[in-house]
Amino acid sequence: MNDLELFPYPKNRLQKTDLDLAASLQDLVQKEIVDKRLELKEDYRGLLEPNLNKLLVEVGLQRMFWPEKLGGEEHNGPEAAYTVAAALEQVGRADTGLAYLAAHNLALQASLAMRENLNQEACGRFAPLFCDGRGPVIVSFVLPVFGEDEKAPAWRGKSFQVRARAASGSWVLNGKGVRPTCSGADAHLFGAWCAVEGEEQPAFILVPGDAPGLSRGPEFKKTGLAASRNADLDLSGVEVPAENCLFRGDLEYRRLLSWFYLGVSAAAVGGLLAAYQILKEWGDNRVIKGTGNVFKENPLTGALMGEIAQDISMSRLLAYDLAGMLADPTTFGDAGSDMVYTAALMIVHHVLATAERALHRTMELMASAGYAKEWQLERYWRDLKTVQCYVGSHELAKHDFARWFYGARTL
Amino acid sequence: MRTIDDFTRPLEYISPMDGLLGSIFRDWVEKEVMPYRRQFDEDYRDHRLIHPPFKKLLGEYGLQRMIFPEDLGGWGMGRSNYMCTAAFRMFEEIARADTGMALAFGALFWPFLFIALEPHENRRLLEEFAPMFCETTEPVFAALCMTEPQGGSDIENIEIVKGSTIRTTAVLDGDEWVINGHKLWPSNTGGLARLMAVVCTTNPGSDDPRDIAVIYVTSDTPGVTQGPPYEKAGMAADMNSDVWFENVRVPSWYRACGPGDDAKYFGEIMSTGNMGIIAWISGAMMNIYERLTEFVNRKKYRGLPLKENDAVAGVLADFAANIEAIRIVGYQCARMCDRHDLYGPLWDPGLVAKMRAQRYLAMDRFIEVTGRVMNLMECFGTDRDWDVEKHWRDLKILQLVEGSKQLCQIETARWFYECRTL
Ligand SMILES: Cc1cc2nc3c(=O)[nH]c(=O)nc-3n(C[C@H](O)[C@H](O)[C@H](O)COP(=O)(O)OP(=O)(O)OC[C@H]3O[C@@H](n4cnc5c(N)ncnc54)[C@H](O)[C@@H]3O)c2cc1C
Repeated sequence: MNDLELFPYPKNRLQKTDLDLAASLQDLVQKEIVDKRLELKEDYRGLLEPNLNKLLVEVGLQRMFWPEKLGGEEHNGPEAAYTVAAALEQVGRADTGLAYLAAHNLALQASLAMRENLNQEACGRFAPLFCDGRGPVIVSFVLPVFGEDEKAPAWRGKSFQVRARAASGSWVLNGKGVRPTCSGADAHLFGAWCAVEGEEQPAFILVPGDAPGLSRGPEFKKTGLAASRNADLDLSGVEVPAENCLFRGDLEYRRLLSWFYLGVSAAAVGGLLAAYQILKEWGDNRVIKGTGNVFKENPLTGALMGEIAQDISMSRLLAYDLAGMLADPTTFGDAGSDMVYTAALMIVHHVLATAERALHRTMELMASAGYAKEWQLERYWRDLKTVQCYVGSHELAKHDFARWFYGARTL
Repeated sequence: MRTIDDFTRPLEYISPMDGLLGSIFRDWVEKEVMPYRRQFDEDYRDHRLIHPPFKKLLGEYGLQRMIFPEDLGGWGMGRSNYMCTAAFRMFEEIARADTGMALAFGALFWPFLFIALEPHENRRLLEEFAPMFCETTEPVFAALCMTEPQGGSDIENIEIVKGSTIRTTAVLDGDEWVINGHKLWPSNTGGLARLMAVVCTTNPGSDDPRDIAVIYVTSDTPGVTQGPPYEKAGMAADMNSDVWFENVRVPSWYRACGPGDDAKYFGEIMSTGNMGIIAWISGAMMNIYERLTEFVNRKKYRGLPLKENDAVAGVLADFAANIEAIRIVGYQCARMCDRHDLYGPLWDPGLVAKMRAQRYLAMDRFIEVTGRVMNLMECFGTDRDWDVEKHWRDLKILQLVEGSKQLCQIETARWFYECRTL
């Protein structure tokens, strides 16, 4: 048995094409990333960027949802949720950062090109960029964060980073020291959830990376996610066509996030599977407590390994369950509904917290080998923690859960 | 405004030097370390930025002399019954800026614990090595070479494994030891160490602790090779590498304490080392508290400083509560290590077990509450500029050095429940 299938893998729910895609990605990332990283480490130009191109362009993840007539693959029914999970799990196993970037790209596609809610105009405008085969499209989001100005317009307590003003036929955007969710230094497209001057309802507006008035600060150093070279942005009177506003409502915003959380959850499961493989390889023959005592046979370390495997299994089941909810709107409701969005938010936080714990334990078990870059484990530990922080505060997300489950209104 | 000095320090038993040491170290940290520490990760190989503050602290201020007797040019700390309490304060202050530096600083003294503490001072060896450390203003590093490729825990697990897995051999040839072996990970290696205490076996495979030998080797002895520094998740200021010993010859009297005693006094490294780790955790948490305080004051949520949200305050409170507990426990551990008249000798298995218990608990608490703080800070929690992530990365290894978490658990259970086979 493929050792990744040791963990519960709901093959029965995946289509043959999903299984084939997962299998070919498993081979590809093994050859192109896993086998090369001892030498190339986390080199962006040498390892990560070329592979982003392979995954998004050559494998075609960035064409997945768009209509065929626009060059896409029109795999845009809700069942594509399983494809996202199966694909990003494999990518995440090789590099969680690449999967995190792909999660952005796929969430944007899902929010624009999903069969039931296809946004014809936006598809017409943006599909060519994703489907022309000229290179990977790095998508980043600009979401509300903890700001420093108490009077700044806020979304659920956090400050909008960008303010938008409607002009005739266009939007004019402003924001200083804007922190995107990834790749501030490289992104081709920023999707910003903006406060709109004089209006209650925010707007989700796409800003091309080369828009005049958009400037990028230097790449800053962070814990992990080498694939996402992040930098803060300044938007100074950036003007984009009116059609770049993709939606105004909560429903669509949550839909985007639900799909994003699915991608992130799958990416995290991939990281966990990688940690499993590394620990297994290292631990199969490691001896402790004198000669003849194999580490995995020790009751204490064996129990911890068991707990890690349990964490990985549960996380995988949860990620696929989220895929199942998104894949079946008839049963569960729209991806942007309160219920599905809350479930997605709970699952992504649960998976990331579980991943943090499991990675901590794997590091402990591998002791100094876990801490040395040579063994490649520590990068998953750093990457997953970074993803968790970028997804947001678990403490405050709990208020969303309480709002839905207990009807809390002021939280 | 509250500061880190508002966290409780057990005033009734801190060292008389505490205030002076605290201000010297704090001043050094602010001027020599804080301005550069965010670049230390990339400096792991060359120590271009890391070396100058060490030069000042170890060489110019002379801290590397501190454990040697006063008549040999040292400060006599090895004979003081405030050694650990004073060290706790120093460690805390350094770790506030950089735990890698604190580890490198602490590890410098590990080799000397075998020979500089009463009642087993080895005067001849102290006289031999004191000039190397006491007669210079250049920093001089020492290393304890214990871990081997097949595992570090087993060598530390003297009570059960009894040195039977050690593969580095020491063979007496006339009046010289001939040492052969391969060590991994000693702090202060990668070319830094001038002196090493090497944990060897005089009878490979033997489970007689008398065959465990701790032998000093200067790095310029023919046959000693330090490899290039490892690249790690953090702790850049602590340089580690492979060290090979190939037919290395040193005088027979370079053995630390002698058969049986080398193994016995190894316990002193474990008790003081684990105490030191608690100080590093406490120091790092102080700095996280400082940075976190700035964050939750500056950043707004629902129109108010973040700290004014009740849910956030819960996380903040947990963090502060853990600092309070860890610091007090840490100082108490230091005092227990100092007062042999009350708590028994430093090598006593009970004392070692208690130090291990407190240290692994402190480390677990650190991991949990710091992880929550990072997440609370959202994307800023992973920024190098906010410093919290650095401590998170650096400290993780403190679950592994000086006894892994599991070894700490086992030794704690073994002592408190009198287990016999663990
Ligand atoms: C930054 C850093 C600094 C270091 N400094 C030094 C130094 O100065 N000198 C030096 O000699 N070494 C040093 N080390 C090495 C360190 O001491 C070892 O990593 C440590 O002893 C663990 O050994 P190991 O890595 O070989 O793991 P192993 O000993 O192989 O342990 C692997 C796993 O088995 C578990 N385990 C081991 N024994 C038992 C048991 N009896 N019961 C249950 N579980 C068990 C451990 O908890 C761990 O999870 C350093 C390491 C680092 C990363």
